[in-house]
Amino acid sequence: MSEGLLDSFRIRDEPYYLAVADEVRLFEAAYAARLPVMLKGPTGCGKTRFVQYMAWRLRRPLITVACNEEMSASDLLGRYLLDGGATRWQDGPLTIAARLGAICYLDEVVEARQDTLVVIHPVTDDRRLLSLPAKSEALQAHADFHLVVSHNPGYQSAVKDLKPSTKQRFGAIEFDYPARALEVEIVIHETGLSEELAERLVSIAEAARRLKGHGLDEGISTRMLVHAGSLITRGIEVEAACRMALVQPLTDDPELVLALQASVRACL
Amino acid sequence: MTSNSSEGAQAELPRAPERFVRALWGFELRVAPLPTPTNQALARRPRFVGKRLWLPASPLVGVPGSFNDYLFAACAHISAHLRFGAPRFEVKSLKPAQIAIISLLEDARVERLATAQYPGLQRLWAPYHQARAEGAKTSSSLLGRLARALHDEAYLDDDEWVNKGRQLFLQGHRRWHDTNLCRELGGVLGNDLGQMRVQFNAKDYVVQPAYRDDNVGLWLFEHESSADGTPFESEAVRRIESDQAPKQGERGAKTNPARHGSASEPASAVQSAATSEPASVTRHAEWDYVIQRERPAFCSVRDRPIAPGDAARVASTLARYAAVRKRLERSALRLADRRPLQVRRLLDGDRLDLSASIAALVAGRSAAQPDPRVYRRLRFLLEPPALLLLLDLSESLNARAPRGSSTLLELAESASSLLATSLASLSSDFAIHGFSSNGRHDVGYCRFKDFDAPYDEHARARLAGMRAQLSTRLGTALRHAGQALATRKARRKLLLVVTDGEPSDVDVHDPEYLLFDAKQATTGNRRLGVTSFCIGLEANAQKSVHRIFGAGNYTLVDQLESLPSRLAEVYLRLSA
Repeated sequence: MSEGLLDSFRIRDEPYYLAVADEVRLFEAAYAARLPVMLKGPTGCGKTRFVQYMAWRLRRPLITVACNEEMSASDLLGRYLLDGGATRWQDGPLTIAARLGAICYLDEVVEARQDTLVVIHPVTDDRRLLSLPAKSEALQAHADFHLVVSHNPGYQSAVKDLKPSTKQRFGAIEFDYPARALEVEIVIHETGLSEELAERLVSIAEAARRLKGHGLDEGISTRMLVHAGSLITRGIEVEAACRMALVQPLTDDPELVLALQASVRACL
Repeated sequence: MTSNSSEGAQAELPRAPERFVRALWGFELRVAPLPTPTNQALARRPRFVGKRLWLPASPLVGVPGSFNDYLFAACAHISAHLRFGAPRFEVKSLKPAQIAIISLLEDARVERLATAQYPGLQRLWAPYHQARAEGAKTSSSLLGRLARALHDEAYLDDDEWVNKGRQLFLQGHRRWHDTNLCRELGGVLGNDLGQMRVQFNAKDYVVQPAYRDDNVGLWLFEHESSADGTPFESEAVRRIESDQAPKQGERGAKTNPARHGSASEPASAVQSAATSEPASVTRHAEWDYVIQRERPAFCSVRDRPIAPGDAARVASTLARYAAVRKRLERSALRLADRRPLQVRRLLDGDRLDLSASIAALVAGRSAAQPDPRVYRRLRFLLEPPALLLLLDLSESLNARAPRGSSTLLELAESASSLLATSLASLSSDFAIHGFSSNGRHDVGYCRFKDFDAPYDEHARARLAGMRAQLSTRLGTALRHAGQALATRKARRKLLLVVTDGEPSDVDVHDPEYLLFDAKQATTGNRRLGVTSFCIGLEANAQKSVHRIFGAGNYTLVDQLESLPSRLAEVYLRLSA
């Protein structure tokens, strides 16, 4: 049964990922050393895609948890459920990964409350032990188990940060938007746009990124460029596609919308 | 209630063009509205000097398209000068016509370089090139046609001079990065124009198309030679200087009849006088308890400049309060954490607490007493309020605290810097202002730290430059502060007032008058959604602050040395 469960988390086809620097080598080494990895970087720059790619490359199942405020320790570890006249223990995603040997990916980890995250502490140091107090079990993590978390240090305030005791358990890889040539290549691959058009989309993104901190919290991400590109390949006019996928999602400030649209027109 | 004469004739420019330039090139411009020219007949053009920009604040006559597009076009053009332009050309012995032609070529050159990077700019500028190959061949029409010919390769012209200009410019395309190119070509074309006997009148010359700047920023005019120089350059220099000169001088010279009027003067006279006040004066009403009526626009508040002091001194006195500061910072951090709290195991709540429900069911099945607390609830904390700390900076603050070596002023300064330091890392939604008055026409208002401004070295230097002088017209200051606070977006608005006694001023002899007025101002602020709280600096302040702010809305600090920590405590208590 456990193999069947894990199978559903396996990534069968190679996800498209274009290495920006030596992140693949770093991740492989961290995996070999079973050093938990933290991926830092702005939204939409390819952190999740990278994890998927690495899970595929290392042939490990990938269990992803999108973290949020309401998440409690039992949402990660597991809980007792009623089953007919009796109770039954249901493993949470982190416990499944630790028991069966998968990569557990906690996306946007700072969104979880700090007291919840403390449960990962024993499994992220050399003990590799997951303690399940409700079940009175200390689970020795599977040899293949690996923990990866992601967070975006950009827009969180001082109050939304990880505890130092949590942070220091990880090795961190910093991500940023890819360099121009790579980003063009990614947009072409993901959308099938012509090189010229992809170049122009990337110019628009570069222009918007200059407004970060000058009205914008985040610039246009690679993901948004792919969105715009896929609208264009479905026959939407370039300017309308950019408006829908790049400008409007980014800001509600009418002055910024005007400035961004003027930049879009200047780039096309 | 007030007439705010700072809303003058100049409309505000949208901020979008500045952002557009930052997006394109990554640098910041400082944009200001172009002053209305004295000579109405002369068409207005944008102007830049360095990274300062002046743009028309209203649409120009005869310019097509939307005003926003015009501003974008103008900013794109000027930013191309800044990005690709040469250091400013020297005028030397050039004739006005040559200056105009060289500028025109330079305009085309930087635009070409900018369009190479942002091809869409071509379309942004195109609608403004309206010159056509027809009509009399005056210098203005020829220059307009040359501008269009250089911009638009599809444009056809029958004039030899225009075609020669285009040919020379296009032939030189390998040298478009060379800033000397335009000077060379412009010299040639200028001579040709002279030999064609086409008159060039620098006084009437207006740059075409309309989005382009008036070329002042391209040239280095020698101040000394401007007297005998061409009218073209002397006009430019004169206009820049008159634009930039602050209007300080006018303020003193104007005698305002309202200032010398009696208290019973009709309101209409005050209103009309208000319109001629200089920009930075705000007028507020005052409550007269004798007639039980408000005197409209009765008191004038003006911003007082602050001579900066030694910022390092503020930092060093802060060290004394390290313990308080730490506690304050921790509490402020807790305050800023706006994440909802999960409250579990409740008898009553919005949703089931799953683990508690299961535990209860399990207990039921195993014949134990189930715990009925199976609900949970999200508790949302209040956001911290927008804060304005208003300091009474009247002469009496120079007194020493009874048992200490510090003056009240120094304590007020430490208290504000302590609060500011602790809050600064979390929010900039707080301001520290101070006031002192010299009669109703001169209520001085100092902004040590304003809303949204960073609490930085400059703000600290301003705090260190705090001076205590003159009197306390509290009501007017309360109105002024309350209105500043009322514009903030935060749901709660807190006005913290630090004062050392009852209000007084040189032109008021009835002690009750200002007291009633301050009470009225507090009531008015409450109507604006502003909560006031007062910290009285002396035991004998009780009677007056009690009357002004009401029971429970003030606290008295008897041990004056503890003012900084008391202020912090009050803030925390009121914002939790």
